[in-house]
Amino acid sequence: MTLTGEGLQPSEFAVTASRAVADCAALDLREQARHLANDGLLGVIASQEVGGLDLPLAFAVPVVAAAGSGLLGFPLMEALLLGRALQESLPRAAEAVVTGETLATIAWQGSVSAEREGDSIVLNGWVARAACAAEADSLLVRIGTGEAALVPMDSDGTVVEEATGLDLTVPEHSVRLQGVTIPAASVLPESAWKLLCSDANVLRAAAILGSAEACLSLAQEHASTRRQFGRALSYNQAIRHALARQKLGLEGIRHAITRSVSDEAAATQRDAAFLAAGVYGSAISEGALQIYGGMGFTWDVPVHRHLRRVRALQAQGEASATLAALGRRYIDAIAPVADAAVSG
Amino acid sequence: MTAIERAAPEAATTGELSGEAYRVAKRRWLRANLPASFRSDVAAFASPTLPQSIAWEAAMYRAGLAGITWPKAYGGHGRTLREHLIANQEIGALAMPESVNSIGKELAGPIILAVGTEEQKHRFLPAILEMRDVWCQGFSEPEAGSDLAGLRTSATRDGDTWRINGQKIWTSGAYRAQRCLVLARTGPLEDRHRGLAMFAVRLDAKGVRVRPIKSIDGRESFCEVFFDDVEVLESDALGAPDEGWNAAIRVLEIERATNRMYRSWRFENELRHLISACKSDPVLAQLVTERHYEVKLGEVVVDIEVLKAHVETAVDALANGDKIGARGSLAKLHWSEAHQRFAALALELLAQASLPQISAVQLARRRFEAIYLQARAETIYAGTTEIQLGIIADRILQLSKGK
Repeated sequence: MTLTGEGLQPSEFAVTASRAVADCAALDLREQARHLANDGLLGVIASQEVGGLDLPLAFAVPVVAAAGSGLLGFPLMEALLLGRALQESLPRAAEAVVTGETLATIAWQGSVSAEREGDSIVLNGWVARAACAAEADSLLVRIGTGEAALVPMDSDGTVVEEATGLDLTVPEHSVRLQGVTIPAASVLPESAWKLLCSDANVLRAAAILGSAEACLSLAQEHASTRRQFGRALSYNQAIRHALARQKLGLEGIRHAITRSVSDEAAATQRDAAFLAAGVYGSAISEGALQIYGGMGFTWDVPVHRHLRRVRALQAQGEASATLAALGRRYIDAIAPVADAAVSG
Repeated sequence: MTAIERAAPEAATTGELSGEAYRVAKRRWLRANLPASFRSDVAAFASPTLPQSIAWEAAMYRAGLAGITWPKAYGGHGRTLREHLIANQEIGALAMPESVNSIGKELAGPIILAVGTEEQKHRFLPAILEMRDVWCQGFSEPEAGSDLAGLRTSATRDGDTWRINGQKIWTSGAYRAQRCLVLARTGPLEDRHRGLAMFAVRLDAKGVRVRPIKSIDGRESFCEVFFDDVEVLESDALGAPDEGWNAAIRVLEIERATNRMYRSWRFENELRHLISACKSDPVLAQLVTERHYEVKLGEVVVDIEVLKAHVETAVDALANGDKIGARGSLAKLHWSEAHQRFAALALELLAQASLPQISAVQLARRRFEAIYLQARAETIYAGTTEIQLGIIADRILQLSKGK
């Protein structure tokens, strides 16, 4: 586990984050931004120059997990990542995100074309999976050539579509950019976008961990209190084993995340944490719904909100393509057998 | 003199290496000394004989690769659990046969360390590491498989000695062992878990009979062992009759989390071997570039990463002095099921190889067909999948039994 100079542990952030997430339930998005910022939660990994705490990614994990567990309706992962991604080239914008002054988000899917006109760049195209884009002040979009651009949402030619998708907690929007002009200085290099995506997969795993923990805890509670045939549901081995499998998956997610933020971790460990979280997180939330029976299918039991969120995060990180790419990289790196002769 | 006997013991200076240097020293020694005939991923592979295995494992011990965390006073190397992990990562990276004395090194040894007398520690532990004594485990019985509380083998006092009567089954490697770690009952069957005692029984003692059972892979490795009024000296009783089992349970809990720690890395060695063999075959080389198999093999990579994560976090927890509790069940359960999925995938891929079969595919088929069959046992031994799920439900989730 990474330790900082002050001897802080990532787990110490979990309590603060859980409390802040609970407080946010009654606030609108902008109030949430300021509230989370006041608790130092938006700048966990951003530099001190822009008002952040300059901590490693491991410290953002319990914060994002608490948001997942508490169904926080705020683009927290995006704020955390943007505070750091913008700190070098756009420090003012980074500071505004970290202090909760502006609401910024990221379009994870799609890319736009960019044409240079003097000191400006003109953007055209469709992007999607932008959390809370309808209320955001700025949006980071990927440019087809690999870089990324920060777009003020009040720019001419920016059209936000109605939210679509399963997730009710953090609505995802498509955004159309039609000849949107931004300063050339608002473009981030390709390396910044790549780091952003790689860290995002770890944080998606963290968000899923939070949701999965909440679901297992709900399922366990229900199985222990709901009585059928004169006994609690948890008397039945089928239920006990189903919950045990959910616990196995949950600890798999937790440990894979720990491994993915260790000093030796590479892309494989980060992808694996995200992919494991998607698979186990879906199974845990779907399994929790099953254990609730008919009640699980009702709007009021919150399991479906987690299930929706887990599936949205899995799609947002393009789990299927990530898995195939992981397999391909692994296969490509292995040489054929040296003495592969046909035997007589 | 065989290659193994000539293998140099670990040089005195490397004994004090740590971290990355320790890893490199272990890796170099293993790669320089593991005979090609032991490696199931090279053409020269031939299943080693028992004397060859014993010589190799004794050489590994001399090179600091067995008894890693055991105290130096009893022949161990006095290293940390993290170094044990490093050594196991290097052991796992090579395709080598399973230990013929894993019961001695990973079950009997730790139990003796925990409950044995000084005399027993000095007598038994070095003999295990030097491979003079190979051990087997006499826990399961025809009427007591997963439920050891139902075991019937009895141990009765007879003056200064004990007399053991009963039958053990699924005793892997009994035919080659010198000692059996026998769990026997000192009181009536109604005592269930109370009154269970452990003994280090010599298998050449009068009244011991070993009968091999042929297993699905065609081998005769596991056995029935019959005890007919076998005399056991008090000095071979391990721990007090009523305390031995409780102490053993605590040891077993840690063991489940730490034993065969190389498994994740061996699993990776198997995956790499499979892909390498596929890439040598014209048809399979094409197949593994298709998205279906990229995804399938990608899933195995994720399984292995999750397994490594279970193992490494358990080692971290133990190294920090945390209680391991029932967490060993998580790694065992995940590994056994993931390994079965992988073995089935390996069979599926290799069945599609081109004709005539190249030697690399033949070699891989030999290895993975054996692994596929052996993997059936992995969800059964050391606590079946159902037992592990029960442990997780009872002890980790502490689910109410719901009366």
